[in-house]
Amino acid sequence: MRPDTWHLFIDPGILRFFAEGLMWTVLLSITSIALSFAVGLLFALGRLSTRAWLRWPSIAYVEGVLAVPVLLLIVYFSIKGSSLFQPFFGEDFDLPRFWAGVLGLSMYTSAIIAEILRAGILALPRGQSEAARALGLSYPRTMRFVVLPQALRAMVPALMAQLTTIIKDTSLVGTIGFFELYRSARIIYTQNFNPIEALGFISIIYFVICFTLSQLSRRLELGQAPKDVRAKLAEIQLRDQVA
Amino acid sequence: MGIIFEFPDLYLFPSGLWVTIQLSVVSLIGSLVIGTVIALFRISPIPPLRWVGTGYVELFRNTPLLVQLFFLFFGAPLLGIRFSDEPLEFNFRAALLGLSLYHAAYVAEVVRGGLLAVDKGQIEAARSLGLSYLGMLRYVQLPQSFRAVVPPLANIFIALVKNTSLATTIGVVELLKAGELIESRTFRTVEAFGSVAVLYLLLTIPMGIGVNWLEKRLRVAR
Repeated sequence: MRPDTWHLFIDPGILRFFAEGLMWTVLLSITSIALSFAVGLLFALGRLSTRAWLRWPSIAYVEGVLAVPVLLLIVYFSIKGSSLFQPFFGEDFDLPRFWAGVLGLSMYTSAIIAEILRAGILALPRGQSEAARALGLSYPRTMRFVVLPQALRAMVPALMAQLTTIIKDTSLVGTIGFFELYRSARIIYTQNFNPIEALGFISIIYFVICFTLSQLSRRLELGQAPKDVRAKLAEIQLRDQVA
Repeated sequence: MGIIFEFPDLYLFPSGLWVTIQLSVVSLIGSLVIGTVIALFRISPIPPLRWVGTGYVELFRNTPLLVQLFFLFFGAPLLGIRFSDEPLEFNFRAALLGLSLYHAAYVAEVVRGGLLAVDKGQIEAARSLGLSYLGMLRYVQLPQSFRAVVPPLANIFIALVKNTSLATTIGVVELLKAGELIESRTFRTVEAFGSVAVLYLLLTIPMGIGVNWLEKRLRVAR
């Protein structure tokens, strides 16, 4: 290895460049996790619904999305995204890469979050919702005031673990040409021919963020959730853990 | 539809699918071997080995697979490791190694969990009967952990099949790349990526059903 290429990483200009990349990675992660939480909640409720016309499309969405790689979704939206939205925004609408990435990441993550939330809701003792219904609460109110607050609280560690995954997955949005942390390293090393140093540098950044988050979520996990729910969550996380 | 079914480059789909299957199976074997070794490191009585094991797992789980693949792709030649002189073969082998190393970290956690779940009395009994530590691992602890470990490993395999798509980024022509190539030549985006999605579905959905079946079977037997 050539040690002379390391001096780049003390240069404030280069550091600011990486900081900008990191900022976009964080923005991408936060936007995607927020969107996927909202969509995931809808599909979790849809899948638990007693109405078949809500339940079956939800099952198809979750199982279908989880069966394909997230990179496929991201690449698809980067190519096709613009023409998908042209009917709504006019003929010359061009979907920014940021939103193509958000759509791909959110579609995938929303299916995972739907499964996590469903596991959380099913884990609650049935007495909870039965008592709420018996007290005269409607179904939406039962969900809103009794079931969801408890289920969400129990699922916080799992949702945080998903945030770690999504931060790692944002690197895939770099491959469709969006400027984020991975892309910033790529620009640096194509100009300076120092891929090892540049990739090593961003690996440290990814590691610090993801390691901190995963330790945090592990700490929260202690003593929470019954055993079979934890098994279900572990399964979801293993099966859909990406990049 | 129409045009895509007459297109001469359609062979890319079966050949891409075949590359995806090869990547999945070989990386699975690689990650099982590496992951088991790392798991043994993590439960070893020797502290430095434990540190190496823990360091490996945390390092590989907390950085993006994409970055790891590029790291190998650029780093291996600098360290004097040449996977192959033929560029396509080079990319393929780099992807194999990258996927194996990444998933080995997950395999290690699962195998470690399985090993720790074996009843302590079993281990003590084997040791007091005169088996060496390695002999005890080989004949008592590893075989007993097998049952607890198979369903989660199958889940990792499903993730691995999906993650082979990242090999595209270092120039392996697998299923996703095949779809991208066909799309770029026909401009039939929906058909090209739809076909790729269906092929992935055909790989992963039966595997998911298989895992559920395995879980039920092994749970009853326990």
